[in-house]
Amino acid sequence: MANRHPSEGGGALTFNKRPGFAYARKGQVVPDRGRTSGDPDMDASDIEALVIDRPEDGVFKVHADVYRSEEIFELEQKYIFEGGWVFLGLDCQAPEPHDFFTTYIGRQSVIVSRDKDGVLHGLINACRHRGALVCHTAAGNAPTHVCPYHAWTYDSAGNNTAITAHDRGAHGAGFDAEDHGLRRIPRFESYRGFLFGSLDPDVPSLEAYLGETTIFIDLVVDQGPDGLELVPGTVHYTYRGNWKLQIENSADIYHFMPTHETLLRIVNARAADDAAAASAYRHRKEGSVTRGSMCFPNGHNAMFGGGDNIQARPLYRELDKLRERVGAVRAKWMLYTRNVLFFPNMQLLENASLQIRVNRPVSASRTDIVTHCIAPRGESDEARELRVRQYEEFFNPSGLATPDDTAIFEDIQAAAGADAVDWNQGYMRGMGTASREPIAEARELGLNPVTSVTGSPSLGDETILHGPIRAWRDRLKAALSSEDRPSLRYGSAAAE
Amino acid sequence: MTAGDGHAEVVALLHREALFLDEQRWDEWLALYTEDVEYWVPAWKGEHEATADPRREISLIYLNSRARLEERIGRIRSGRSAANLVLARTAHAISNVLIENETAGTVDVRCVCITHIYDPKRRSEFRTVARNALGLVRVGEEWRIRSKKVLVLNDNLRTKLDFYML
Ligand code: FES
Ligand SMILES: [Fe+2]
Repeated sequence: MANRHPSEGGGALTFNKRPGFAYARKGQVVPDRGRTSGDPDMDASDIEALVIDRPEDGVFKVHADVYRSEEIFELEQKYIFEGGWVFLGLDCQAPEPHDFFTTYIGRQSVIVSRDKDGVLHGLINACRHRGALVCHTAAGNAPTHVCPYHAWTYDSAGNNTAITAHDRGAHGAGFDAEDHGLRRIPRFESYRGFLFGSLDPDVPSLEAYLGETTIFIDLVVDQGPDGLELVPGTVHYTYRGNWKLQIENSADIYHFMPTHETLLRIVNARAADDAAAASAYRHRKEGSVTRGSMCFPNGHNAMFGGGDNIQARPLYRELDKLRERVGAVRAKWMLYTRNVLFFPNMQLLENASLQIRVNRPVSASRTDIVTHCIAPRGESDEARELRVRQYEEFFNPSGLATPDDTAIFEDIQAAAGADAVDWNQGYMRGMGTASREPIAEARELGLNPVTSVTGSPSLGDETILHGPIRAWRDRLKAALSSEDRPSLRYGSAAAE
Repeated sequence: MTAGDGHAEVVALLHREALFLDEQRWDEWLALYTEDVEYWVPAWKGEHEATADPRREISLIYLNSRARLEERIGRIRSGRSAANLVLARTAHAISNVLIENETAGTVDVRCVCITHIYDPKRRSEFRTVARNALGLVRVGEEWRIRSKKVLVLNDNLRTKLDFYML
């Protein structure tokens, strides 16, 4: 049995770890590997049994255990959140030399720090001496980070610059032979300022992982001539429910009218009093609004649609300039409603406003969410105020839409108390029409989704939920089939 | 009027507002506000810095008329908001009342408000802890609330936040 504890010497850390998991390309078969010891008592066939996936019969079901089992939560943390690419933040969260912010990869606290030369580093937020937390704030600016315990000191590139009373420490040769810099996140890459990290070094490049979904990042970054910025103000919330309930909700067209009836009533009443106040969701007739969905490899998906009241969008004011700069097709897409999941932990959501939402599972039945409003850098005061108000009203947990979703996640979790709740039926709308041939809207963006669907909002497609569930299943199956267990090496600062 | 009387009236107003919220007497609660009230719950930018410009920064809630508060009351009364299907029982505890900038017709008030929230559906409880700043204005014999800024300290929100929890 492989050693689960750090090996001696060399600054390297050896974990019992399965090799690279199933990052499937379209049509690729996931290899079978033996399982890793120390995992919950489940094997690949147990995971397989939790998803009934028979598109030929129009059947897709997911067992409620996928949302409530703490054993499965452990596996997800190890093999999905701590075992592959996750979103960390935006490079504009640390714009200047020595700026940093902290976040998590699964259960691991990490630091993203910009060094004196402007290079970003992804670092493990634990002191190399005895493991104390090094960075304590959500963000800041610091040329050096001094550990509060014994005052070891690190620079903004993660290098160790001082060991307290090193020369009087009577260390043996072994200590001095090691590097004492902060451990690095083994893989740390950016796509146009969107920063991702992986604790597993054995993953494909970020661009390969994201695949065609990078177009949806382009559709956000290119909204302004100077890129995007975070609107100040971070909103956090937490709910007693599984993390997948949130990512499924954002893709769920079917829930919008019933769940958000009170929001729609309010905004329609305002528009009746004052036509200029018509919201993005002004009363819509069946037929005027379209909604579609696409699933991509590796669990990413996109819900999208047109026909909403684009005059209510902050971007509308600059529409002509926007068309000139990015072309008519991309401009149209920027004004579409788009909810895009970058599996497993980040969503770019745009309707009346634009949100970046990051989930952090805490247990099978608890999830923490961190949200930001993002906007074209330097947009006009008028557009910004509209954006901010619409953002607060729709996206905030203190607004008129999100709390109704989130309350239902808690209801779902509470209702799934025992095996009497087993196979829910809510994954099969749209199966009669979902296509393996890209729909026209996918083709106009040059996209080749695994499946895609388009229709009216009342189609309420649910095939969009299959992509993340299949990626979830395939990643865990591959992990639990793993036989050989290469080490996970964290290269420290000097070693690189 | 002596400063002491003014203080007692202001404290009474704060306590009455708390009572109306706790007893779900929404119309009476709403009547304490002026029509052009600015109701503002900033978000946080850092551990000790809240957002300061509600026009270019995110707030948890920013409403600039009583009509916007009325919408929220309607939403709750409709019975169609899942977040409010079973309304919480609350007790708003007001303390640390401090009067600042008193004029003949206006007064600025600071206080702390801890709202104890019990959710009968989940049989769970939590609380909102806030430092409030209110701007009051004399309307006839009464004080009305013309601005209310609620700085929520525990902003990792448990699924939702709404006016009756503040
Ligand atoms: S744990 Fe950081 S210096 Fe000892
Ligand atoms: Fe929703």
